[in-house]
Amino acid sequence: MSMEQLSAHVEAGEAEETRLLTEKLLKEGADPLVLIEELTKTMAHVGDLFAKLDIFLPEIMMSGEALTEAVNVLTPHLEASGGRQSKGKVILGVVKGDLHEIGKNIVKLILETNGFTVKDLGYDVDPLVFAKEAEEMGADFIASSSLMTTTMPRQLEIIEILKAKGIRDKYKVVIGGAPTSQLWADKIGADLFCYDAKSAPELFSALLADN
Amino acid sequence: MSTLYRHWEIIDRARTGEFMDEDDFLPKHFSPTLKRLIKKYEIKYDPATPCPADSAMADRIWQAAWELLVEVGYYNTDSHRLIKVTDEEIKEALYMANDQYIVGGGKDARVMKHRSIEDPEPPFCIMSPDITVDEKYHQSMCMAYLKEPLLDGLCGPILETTFGNLIESGGPSEISGCIQHIQNQKMAARLLGRPDTFMVAVGTAEHDSGQIAVSDEAWGVQKTDARLVGTLTEFKTADTLLNRALHYAQYGCYTGNLTGAIYGGWCGGSEGTAVTTVAYSLIGLVIHGAIFNQHFPFHLNYGSNTTRELLWSIAMAGQAMARNSCLLYTSNGFANAGPMTEMLFRETAVHAMVSTASSWHLWEMASTRNKYRNRATPLEARLGCEVGHAVAGQKMTLEQVNEIAGRLLAKYEDNAADAPLGSEYHECYDADKAVPTVEHMDMFRRIKDEIAEMGVEFPY
Repeated sequence: MSMEQLSAHVEAGEAEETRLLTEKLLKEGADPLVLIEELTKTMAHVGDLFAKLDIFLPEIMMSGEALTEAVNVLTPHLEASGGRQSKGKVILGVVKGDLHEIGKNIVKLILETNGFTVKDLGYDVDPLVFAKEAEEMGADFIASSSLMTTTMPRQLEIIEILKAKGIRDKYKVVIGGAPTSQLWADKIGADLFCYDAKSAPELFSALLADN
Repeated sequence: MSTLYRHWEIIDRARTGEFMDEDDFLPKHFSPTLKRLIKKYEIKYDPATPCPADSAMADRIWQAAWELLVEVGYYNTDSHRLIKVTDEEIKEALYMANDQYIVGGGKDARVMKHRSIEDPEPPFCIMSPDITVDEKYHQSMCMAYLKEPLLDGLCGPILETTFGNLIESGGPSEISGCIQHIQNQKMAARLLGRPDTFMVAVGTAEHDSGQIAVSDEAWGVQKTDARLVGTLTEFKTADTLLNRALHYAQYGCYTGNLTGAIYGGWCGGSEGTAVTTVAYSLIGLVIHGAIFNQHFPFHLNYGSNTTRELLWSIAMAGQAMARNSCLLYTSNGFANAGPMTEMLFRETAVHAMVSTASSWHLWEMASTRNKYRNRATPLEARLGCEVGHAVAGQKMTLEQVNEIAGRLLAKYEDNAADAPLGSEYHECYDADKAVPTVEHMDMFRRIKDEIAEMGVEFPY
């Protein structure tokens, strides 16, 4: 049994097998940091397969669940050895009036499996809730998705509420969703237009690094 | 007749049905069941045949779709409960379903009736840009579509602003925008001399309040028109959607069931997309009381349905429904490319010919992945509907369509990911007169000639 086998379990979405093998490898003295780094690479590979639709959403979601099993086993050991550093804290949700969340769920999975900490607010989320949750989490990012043109204005409202509360500059505001665009991001003063899920980790990291 | 006489039982189930955590519904209930049924019924996608002719598989897809609905149910996200239906209820609804309806009014009335595979009767042609448009072009674009001779019904463009204010779903601006939308559309029809044209309206309404606000026989959506009830992908609904189904039935207009199964999403591949699309028609009939189903299955990455994996799903879903029901259903094209590009015309033609031969009515054409404001025109819809009339009129077989579709696909399929955006409405139409520019018409004629040379016998 090896690291390769563990990666294979994650890729196949075998959650129970992933958990058991992670525990076994740790007992055998594997470095938890090395394990998590390898599994992150595996998940990036799975993400690439999904981006090309060589696999579909149910499969990548199962891989994500398997990875979560491994992370749950590894977390106490990682904390003991200094911890796995989060790449950023993200408040994520679909704006008020919009019930479409498939894109948001994919972004969540991709961000989490790439080392970001995500709080998912779900869908039909009031703009004020984005602001309050970001304050409570100490978030780096407020990311909102909109699938309908008539719910896009709620993304502007999030920014206006942040300004009204005097906390606009504390957060990187990210927008996404089918009808959104760089033009819309510029118009409402968002910090980032996230055009697809696969690019999210890189775009989020670059934005934070720019700071 | 509509099956809304069961609505109160459906509402009751939305409150008392089996509880399920929403997080579990798709990954642990819907997708595994669908995957199992695809395997059980040996449904297999073949990329070599974008327009297959496989009656046995069509029947298996129908059976899988039926079982999918009965086993999975329809999830209400407000109550977190499953709305289940029985075999008996589906059979009853199918027996009660009419195979034709008269829609629109007066001299503009049209018959929309069930089509069979390779049906020689032309498809019912609903035209729609499906996208948002600048307020200043809204009425012009409505008029431009209404100038199309093959138009049987119109679903107008969507407004983003009303008197300069951004429309916000659920707010007062949406109600205002919806009234503005239907009045522009109706005024355009009156000015064009076809005032009672069948309309599907209003796309500007995302919230139920916007729809309810425009129900008016004198100035709004009339009873001879239709409205749509959407579904949350996949197999999910909410009270705001069920409200619409009830209101439409009680108001007395026609109901259409609007769904877009996502290829690459919870449906998986082409097989799951086909099965889910058929199941949605049953949901439309049994749960929403719809007289027709408006389907736009689409690719998760591209947001289109003119590549072969989606064409296969459209073809097989249509054939499954044609062979096993008398339902009415429209195939809504979603193209990658934008207006006044050769690619968009070819995409539209392929979508229309595959759909028509596979028994669908047409709903053409969302261009530029239905994403960019002002990027749709009636001219691509014209080509799609002319292709539809031609394919039906000459009794083109599925095999012939498959051959021509393959040749056209070879011209654009590799460009799906980076398709050209093309032009905006006012750049390729004279917006004042609502007519295409000379350059645009030239391109239309050139591609029409190219398709004619492949064997499509246009009626004029």
